[in-house]
Amino acid sequence: MIHLFCALPCEAEPLIQHFKLSDIKEFDLFRIYQSKDKEISLTTTGIGKLNMAAAVSYQHACLKTSAGDIWLNIGVAGHANIPLGEARLVNKITDEHDNASWYPQIIFNSPCASTNLITLDNPSTEYQDALFDMEASAFYQLAIRLGTAELIHCLKIISDNTEQNTATVNADKVKKMIAAKIQTIEKLIGCLKPLSAEIHSITAEPKHYQHFIEKWHFTKSESLQLSRLLRQWSLCLPDVDIMPLVAENKSGKTVLNTLRESINNSEFAIHD
Amino acid sequence: MIDTIYIEEEIANHPRTLAILKRFPEATKISCQRYGEVFNSKSQNFRLQKKQPALILARKHKGLVLPSPKEYAIGAEHNYYFSHMLNCLYDCRYCFLQGKFQSAHYVLFVNYEDFIEEMQLILNQHDEEAVHFFSGYDCDSLALEPVTDFTNDFFPFFEKNTRALLEIRTKSTQIRSLLKRSPIKNCVVAFSFTPDKIARALENKAPDINKRLQAILDLQKAGWQIGLRFDPLIYTKDYAKEYSELFNEIFSKIDPDLTHSISLGGFRLPKDYFRKLEKLYPDEKLFASPQAEEKNNIGYPAEIRHEMLDFCENIITQHVPAEKFFPCHESV
Repeated sequence: MIHLFCALPCEAEPLIQHFKLSDIKEFDLFRIYQSKDKEISLTTTGIGKLNMAAAVSYQHACLKTSAGDIWLNIGVAGHANIPLGEARLVNKITDEHDNASWYPQIIFNSPCASTNLITLDNPSTEYQDALFDMEASAFYQLAIRLGTAELIHCLKIISDNTEQNTATVNADKVKKMIAAKIQTIEKLIGCLKPLSAEIHSITAEPKHYQHFIEKWHFTKSESLQLSRLLRQWSLCLPDVDIMPLVAENKSGKTVLNTLRESINNSEFAIHD
Repeated sequence: MIDTIYIEEEIANHPRTLAILKRFPEATKISCQRYGEVFNSKSQNFRLQKKQPALILARKHKGLVLPSPKEYAIGAEHNYYFSHMLNCLYDCRYCFLQGKFQSAHYVLFVNYEDFIEEMQLILNQHDEEAVHFFSGYDCDSLALEPVTDFTNDFFPFFEKNTRALLEIRTKSTQIRSLLKRSPIKNCVVAFSFTPDKIARALENKAPDINKRLQAILDLQKAGWQIGLRFDPLIYTKDYAKEYSELFNEIFSKIDPDLTHSISLGGFRLPKDYFRKLEKLYPDEKLFASPQAEEKNNIGYPAEIRHEMLDFCENIITQHVPAEKFFPCHESV
């Protein structure tokens, strides 16, 4: 799943339209939108760190996220000298309040340049050689508890700089700026999807696992052993049908013993 | 090769940092206070990062040179290891670094001068005795040599202190810097090997066996001392045939007089590392190998381990004298 977070409705609107997202009525603390296939969701959080942190937690609770999901904070930001309308991926987030930093891991060919970002408690026009926003540090701190650094990113579009400060920014301009960078956002998602799929593939339950769990009783530790043995089975005995072998077993313990014995008795080759 | 470089603020102006940054003008540079902020963060995935590792330039503050376990000695009473780098260019599936570190990024400690100072202090503690220093425990010593210039900076210390011996552990064929200079008698370039088919299955991105062997021959021709490291020994049903072929190939070509030492040891990992690797690579056959748990390590069951060690030992001792052979009979 892909989880998008925007502070402002005007940042969210072009994304809602592009990804054809619908409002999920049952969740009313924050507005959450979702695509028909439930692959993409978007939450409008409101301005500031507290709102963002609450929204990420809420989204996680409402939609039951998983470790291989993609998390993106998309919005506008200020910068001293990057031209208006340009997009930047964030490679370092620093919270101005306590000077703590986080480092989103850009391990793909990014569709735009990357730079550092400072999250402020209050708006400022004292521009620096860094992006300014008011949510990213909270977004990242929460999302990193739920996912992995390679799949959690902030993409910011420059809305103001030393030449044109925040006074020139309005909702309509923001919508247009975001809409103009939809392709960059699509490309970013395209870079992240294979990484997400890889995480999902390595965290997926092994074949037959659910069936075994339903048929026999396993303690928590035995469930872990079962998972490991089923994986080993698929690697060591890929052509042997597992079900007839275990069918007569009366307990989880004997199932584990049967699997272990068969694997141990198989001839092990590390290569074909 | 390197798209992103993290730079600790403290060493941003270190001459080695500046020289390395010059090599990568296009890389994105990101400053950090301490490398651990990036490298030790828990919520990151080693497997994903291995696709495009970044370089982290840092300063090593303490624990620069540490005592190494006796089981890994190659003839001296006093043994130490040091790591000017963490992580490796290659992606060997049996490598314990995948279990040890959260991140696959390469950390390079640029303060070589502090490592050398520490080695001098250690050498002074062992008056008139031989001291062995091992490099390549947490990295491949030579794989990033064109970037790190490791040998150029460390060799003078060993040239001056002949009582100290340096082992450079590697699978790399980056030996140009060694061939350009006169050999150092108290330096052993130790190459790791597994049989060709096993290497193809498990040693991703590493030079193939023939290239490694050619590097050995080139180094020996130039007068360098060589070490052979058959560690980890990897079990497969035809291991006897595969290891026999590997030994025949190597011993028929190398110069035994310039072979300093040979060591071997079975595949084993601390239990925590093994379990982490299993999760990172659930479809990797290595982790479905016959296995036993002993003293918080996971390795091959004793029967297989002893059988393999004995088999290899028998062949190796036909080719080299016993004083050059150092089997690691550690339990799993």
